[in-house]
Order: sequence, then C-alpha cells, then structure tokens
Amino acid sequence: MKVAYYSPFPPERSGIADYSALLFPALQQRLDVSAVRRGARRPPRGTDVSLYHVGNNPDAHTWIVDALRRRPGVVVLHDFVLHHLVAGMTLGRGDADDYLDAMHRDAGTVGRLLAHGVVDKLLPPIWEERAQDFPLASVVLDRADALICHSRYVEGLARQYGYDGPISVLPMPAWPPVDVSGTRRLVPEGDAPVLTCVGYLNAAKRVPQLLEAFGRLRETIPDVRLVLAGSAAADVRLDSQTLSEGVLRLDHLEEDELWRLLADSDVCVSLRWPTMGETSGMAIRALTVGTPLVVSDVGWFSELPDAVAVKVPVDELEVETLVATLERLVSDAALRARMSAAAADYARQEHDLDRVADLYVVALEEGAGGTSVQDAVLHDVATAAGEVGFDMNDPVLGDVADRAREVGLGN
Amino acid sequence: MRIAVCAPQVPFERGGTEILAETLASRLRDRGHEVEEVKVPFKWYPEARALSEALIWRMLDLEEAQNRPIDLVIATKFPSYAIRHPNKVVWLVHQFRQAYELDGPEFGQFGQAPFERATVRALHRTDRMVLGEARRLFAISNNVADRLERSTGLGAEVLPPPPKQLPFRSSEDRGEFFLSVGRLDRAKRVDMLLEAAALDESLRVVVAGEGPDRERLERLSGKHGLNGRVDFTGRVSDDELVDLYARSRAVFYAPFDEDFGFVPYEAFLSEKPVVTTRDAGGPLEVVVDRQNGLVCEPAPAAIAEALSWLATNLDEARAYGAAGKRTAERITWDAVVDRLLGS
Repeated sequence: MKVAYYSPFPPERSGIADYSALLFPALQQRLDVSAVRRGARRPPRGTDVSLYHVGNNPDAHTWIVDALRRRPGVVVLHDFVLHHLVAGMTLGRGDADDYLDAMHRDAGTVGRLLAHGVVDKLLPPIWEERAQDFPLASVVLDRADALICHSRYVEGLARQYGYDGPISVLPMPAWPPVDVSGTRRLVPEGDAPVLTCVGYLNAAKRVPQLLEAFGRLRETIPDVRLVLAGSAAADVRLDSQTLSEGVLRLDHLEEDELWRLLADSDVCVSLRWPTMGETSGMAIRALTVGTPLVVSDVGWFSELPDAVAVKVPVDELEVETLVATLERLVSDAALRARMSAAAADYARQEHDLDRVADLYVVALEEGAGGTSVQDAVLHDVATAAGEVGFDMNDPVLGDVADRAREVGLGN
Repeated sequence: MRIAVCAPQVPFERGGTEILAETLASRLRDRGHEVEEVKVPFKWYPEARALSEALIWRMLDLEEAQNRPIDLVIATKFPSYAIRHPNKVVWLVHQFRQAYELDGPEFGQFGQAPFERATVRALHRTDRMVLGEARRLFAISNNVADRLERSTGLGAEVLPPPPKQLPFRSSEDRGEFFLSVGRLDRAKRVDMLLEAAALDESLRVVVAGEGPDRERLERLSGKHGLNGRVDFTGRVSDDELVDLYARSRAVFYAPFDEDFGFVPYEAFLSEKPVVTTRDAGGPLEVVVDRQNGLVCEPAPAAIAEALSWLATNLDEARAYGAAGKRTAERITWDAVVDRLLGS
C-alpha cells in the first residue's frame, strides 16, 4: 500500500514537525510511504492513501487541508479545535464568506451571526478568546476517511461532532532519550528541588497560576526553584517585576539542553486550559527521562496514568491544589522516585516508537479502506435480503445491524 | 447438558477440524451429554466474504432449541467462534490464517490494495471482539495460543487434541519409503520433500492426501524425473492410512508455521520418527530433535540429509519412534473433555 504523507517537517519549527521527523522514518520501515513536498498539488503517482497531519496553525497546515479537500484520506488530528486554522484559511485569504459558512456549518445561525460580528470588527476574534466553543473541525472531519487521534477525549469530541467514520486512538510516539552527559547543566548544582515548565509560555499553560502557586510554595519551602524555559506569549508577563525570587528564566533551548533540563528537574509542570485537544510533546519527553509530571485534569492530560502524573483540576481551587501538589511532591523523595520509575516504564511501553509505528500501520490499513469492507459485507446481506423480499430499511433487519456491530462491522 | 459443537465446513473437504469436532461431540455424548454438531458451509473468498461468513455465524441463535436452553457452545475455528452465546467456550484450532501468519505474497489471499488491507484489519477486529467475549479460551497448541496473543492480546490455555482414534501400529514389514500425509496445499510444503528426493536417488516417497496443490506437485515430480520413486495415492481410507504409517520408514511433516498437526502424533502412535523443519510451528511442540525425530532447516538438502540418516541409522530411528509413542499416548480425550467442561 502506497502512502502519501502530508506534514510539516523540520526545519519548520513546530511540535508536529518534530513528531513527523520522529515517526516518518519508522513508517518508512513498514510501508511504502513518501513525504509530500510542501505546497504540492498532487500526491505521488500510484498513491493508495493520503495521510494528513492537521494542527491549528494556519501557516503550517493550510496547504495540507487544501490537499485534503482535493482528495480525502486519513487525518491525524493533532488539535481538535481548528478555529485558528480555519480563520487563517478564510479570513487570512480575504475570504469572509468561507468563514461565515464554516461558522454556520458548525454553529448554525448563531455561528453565522457571530462570524458577521467578527468580520465587521464588532466582536473580538473568536479564535483568540473562545475558540474552544467553536472548534470548526468540520473542515477536516467532512473529508476524513478515517481519523487518528491521541486521546479518548478527542475521539469523544469527534463523535459528538457527528463523525461516524473509523477513529483510531494511538499513543504519541516518544523520542529516544538523548545522552546529555556532555551537555552543560542549566540549573545550579545542589539539593534545592527544581520545578520546570518548558514550551511556549502563554496563559493557556496556566503560567500566571503557576507563578502564584510557586510564590506560596516558597513560603514553606524557601529553596525550591522554578525554571521557565521557552519563548513567552504576549498574554503573560515574565519580567523581573513579575518573577519572584527562585525563578530561573531561560529562552530558547537547544534539543540537548532541553533533555538535560528535564533530566535535572524534580518535577515537570505541564498545565493547560483551555485545551484544543492537543497532546504535549514536552510531557512525553519528561516521562521518557522519568520526571514526574503535574498536569491539568483536562483532555489528553487526564488520560495519563495516576502513577506518572498528578492531575490538578481547573477550578476555583486550582492554585491551592497546585500548591499542595507541589509541596507534597517536593517534600516526598520516595513518591518522586516511584513516579519517576513509573514514568520511564510507561513511556517505554506505551509510547515506544516501534509500537506506535506498528499501530499507525494498522490504523492506516483500516482507515484506507474507509467503509468499503463494511459496505461489501452489507452488500452481501442486502442481496440475500432482497432475494427473500426484504429491503435494507425493513425493521426486521435491525437484528442484522446489531449482529454486524457485534462482529466489528459498523459503528 | 445440551452442548452445541460449532465448526465451519468447507463443502466436499474433510480434514483435521472436521474430525476434531466429530470426535469431540462423540466423546461428550459418551459422558451422557446431549450434543449437536453445528456446521455451516464456509467459503472465504472473494474479497471480504470471510467477514460475511462471520456475520452468518453471528446471526445464528443457539441460545435455545425448541424452547429448551442450550447450555454450552464449544466453537473451534474461524468463523464459528463468532457465534453468540452467554456460555461460549472456544477451543481454537486456528484463526483465519490468511489474515495472520499467511498474510503475504507467498501464501496469502490479500494483497496490498487498500480494500484488501482494510479487510485484513477488519478480520483482526472481529477476532478481538468475538474471541474476547468467550467465557474460556483454549488453543490446540502453543503456536496457536502465541499467535492469538500476538494478534489480539488475548490469552488462551493450551489444550492439544488427541489424534484420530485408529488402530495405529508398527509393522515389522517395513517399507523403504518416507511418508507424507495431509492436504496438498502450498503451505504444507510437500514440494520440499520432492526436491529432497531429487537430490538423493535412494529416497522413495509416498504422498498421501488430496488438495489444490496436487497438480503442481505431480508436475514437479515429473520435472525431476521422480516417477517410480514418488507415489501420489490421493485420499486414502483409514485402513490404508494405518497401513501406510505402519510400513513407512519415517514420516515427513514440515508445513509452514502450522497450528498443530495431527500427523506427528499419528506417526508416533505408529512408532515412526518424524522429520520436520525449524519453521514448522506446532509440530515443534512435540517433535524433539534426536529424541523422537529430526528437526532440520527448511531446505531440500537438509531434508534429504535427515531422511538419509534415518535410512542408515535404523536403531536410532526405531528408538525415536518408540520415544514418540510414549509422548503421543499421554494425550487423551478424557483429559480434553474434563478441561473443556471446566471440571
């Protein structure tokens, strides 16, 4: 089976580009798969199935969704909320009508009215404030023969959205750990516990809440440190006035520095709200090196085993819970050791690259057929039913549909 | 108890599974149970027909008959284990092999087209669902159990079936030939035996059985000039089979990754050593190299060497046959019935 692979790749800088840099070679060992050049209008000759990696960034994914619109295929849904992508593909191209239509398709007349408000600049852009309320996922769901996603959460959202094709929930592949023995240490030597938050630092990563919790944690554990590593978004202020004592601010890290930092950390904090249905490559890296996680109890993060991640609900007690959670982890070395061992085991078993690549092959082979196999079997049934005087809408045949579901034919 | 023993039936074919189901039913009746053999004709091609056949089994209602409950169903192989019953026990002979270990260019039914790959995956999904719901899962060999676990994650207890109950014996009137028994299809690899015979002019071979590969094998025999040293008997009666086993020097049985295979047991009960290959699967669970037979590489030269060694080392060959008999006699129907009924 010949597969055309649509994705951003390095040197583009995105989590999905990194993901594909990892996954693609493993798939090449298993399938006849070729990467489609960015902007190509057609897949390679002889392609049986196209695999589209779709995320929320219009710069990285518009050309991929354009290709999906020309030819349906299997979609890897890295984010469920695609409002920002759709806005880029429509308003970003000066096509307000398409944006209105997308909002109408997902949210009816109210959606269209809101979209008018945005287009006419009477309302702030929805993608900046309330994207999660209007995911606009139909743009890909309508053209997907099958979906691959990384959480039951996204699977559930797709089903709620009315998607009735095959969905495979696969673990995200884990990077093999990098040897960091020769990499310089970024945090000071010593026994002081180190908490780390790495990535694009924005309000959705709950950075303000983390900073507040850290300040309170310092009252009881004065030597604890917090490393904030990564570029900062405009919606958070990370300067000397807002950062309390004990916070170490690092900008861009090279890959080996990132691994070293995670390995030297006692706890990795990976909070999120709102969630766009995304996974976190940084959380997976932390698990790989056996660093205990503190995450928000939402979306994909909720599905991590309790043995490797402490989950903090996003509610009015979020900061208090976070303080208590960090205090417990920082002061209980035995607990951290147990979580560390469990994290490394979990990453090795669940997120192993070869395992994920094998599961991709299964998902692609299932998905490439779409509903054709089910249709072939039901055609047999319909033919037999027709020959004895039934049509497929006869209620008597409801039993056939139930039995078909029981053997995996039909949703 | 009222028990339904379920097995697919390929029309006009009769092989190990049919015999297994019939004998099981008979042994259950001997214990005083009311037993019905349920057979549905099986056709696995073209395309996704195998899945339609699974659905046919699923549509059957074996929960009761004439307003009396059927207490237990024992299903044997794909697609009979798709049957729906609250007390389903599966004694797995094999899954639909074309979708598993035989999936590939050499033995497979399915190619690389998206529809065909999707059909294979749909078959896997069906297996996970309908085998996963069984109250107990047994497999006829470690090989079958391992494959099941690899493909579905489901564990099965290994429960080997006894061979056909025939008056197997060893004859002092030994023939000069090596015997191959079984259905003639490519996966049984009788061609390797013929190629071996072509390499050693002293080897004589009797091929007992019928199947779709017979014509090709006969052509191969002719091509190598083996006429006179290789006999194709076609299907033989039970008496003829017992006699062939009794008079053979040794038995060759080297299918590719076979589930189980009664042939080594029948050979052992006839006190004959078995020659098999390292990739034969199920037979390797009973044939132990230089204890009750020879295990060699799956190559004609290695097979020729093994057969020739047995032809010249008669004492060892006799000792291997005797050791094999002791192994085969340990597998009994009483033990099988006890475990299937959970006692």
